[in-house]
Amino acid sequence: MNIETVKERAGPREFSPKDDLPEEYRRAATRMLQFHANSEIMGAYLERPFIRQAPSLERKMAFSAKVQDEIGHGQLLYRAAESLGIKTREEMLRELENGAGKFLNCFHYPMEHWVETPMIAFFVDGAAMRRQATLKQSSWEPYAHAMDKVCFEEGFHVKHGEDILRELMSGSRKEQRLTQEAFETWWPRILQFFGPTDDQSSHHDFAADTGLKLMTNDELRNAFLNTYMPKAEKYGLEIPDEPRIRERDDGTYEVVEDDLDWEEFFTVAKNEFEPGRGQIDAHKQAQDAVQWVRDALDAGEAIGTGGGSPQAAD
Amino acid sequence: MIWEVFRQESAGGYHTHCGNVHAPDREMALLFAEVQHGRRKPTNSLWVVPKDEIGEVDTEDAAFGGTTDKSYRFARTYNVEPAAEEVEESEKELTEAERERARREA
Repeated sequence: MNIETVKERAGPREFSPKDDLPEEYRRAATRMLQFHANSEIMGAYLERPFIRQAPSLERKMAFSAKVQDEIGHGQLLYRAAESLGIKTREEMLRELENGAGKFLNCFHYPMEHWVETPMIAFFVDGAAMRRQATLKQSSWEPYAHAMDKVCFEEGFHVKHGEDILRELMSGSRKEQRLTQEAFETWWPRILQFFGPTDDQSSHHDFAADTGLKLMTNDELRNAFLNTYMPKAEKYGLEIPDEPRIRERDDGTYEVVEDDLDWEEFFTVAKNEFEPGRGQIDAHKQAQDAVQWVRDALDAGEAIGTGGGSPQAAD
Repeated sequence: MIWEVFRQESAGGYHTHCGNVHAPDREMALLFAEVQHGRRKPTNSLWVVPKDEIGEVDTEDAAFGGTTDKSYRFARTYNVEPAAEEVEESEKELTEAERERARREA
């Protein structure tokens, strides 16, 4: 199939591993999926310390279940990416470890205090879920199928995150003040979650034409702001004056892009942001620490298959 | 040799198990699957898999979902209004799954 045919046929769940797809499509889909899978893993690592730091048994159990879910999402997405035939799961995991693999801007920032958790668990997950809901219509069928399961689980994450926010914002004055401060720190990063405005997004056109991407960055950010800004205000959070957000006549929002730090965003995007390097290295150390488990599994697999004799009876 | 058959109704959907056929090889298994399972029910694609290659764990061996109260991992537990349409949709699916599990345990 050539690119023109792909663009003509592009529709929800249109292409599967049995289709002969041009390399350009397979590369673009791999890039998206690998980014998405990496982000699931790095997000899980960011939240993992809060299994220990959570203030109650219920919260510990919920965070533990959530981190487990996110790692699972990463695995699902690496499988969906692998089926494009460009990179193996091992290659993608190695790239994540050595700092070549890219992932969401928000997960480059360390998270240290409990009051920060709803910034990820409610706002970032809410933003991610908005995007993921659209990707159920991806033209790459394995991606869409992965999104069915991810979205099924993600409702718990977002509601749990909102529950923490509600709890903090109805807590002591100090809790409310610290939560507001955390919100002010994270808010610009959350606005940048959807990436640069459409005209600056380098990959958008191809991904949109081939059905890999369903909505523009602006559309997604608008949908997010429409639902999540009223929620923030409902719990008593004050939206910072900057970055400025203007309401258009049609009720949608315009974020004044110049108020956001795009230099930092692109440094983050290139994995050159110093705190983000720390996140990447911490993930690598955790991976190295359990290398012996993977080695043992590989050794077991080699024995189990009798050193590579065919498995099927035919 | 027995081959398990999985049918996909329409493009983009899931292949779900629908039965099995006797066949000496994969080619014949596909042919028999086509005749037995793809003739009347709407079919877009069929998979055949050697029965021996399928592993199974069932309720005899496993307590799926655990044996303790795991309500903390269901959206319904958190008493906040779903923030967005997709959160509400997910909550519905989760609640349905939770209800079905509870029904079976009863």
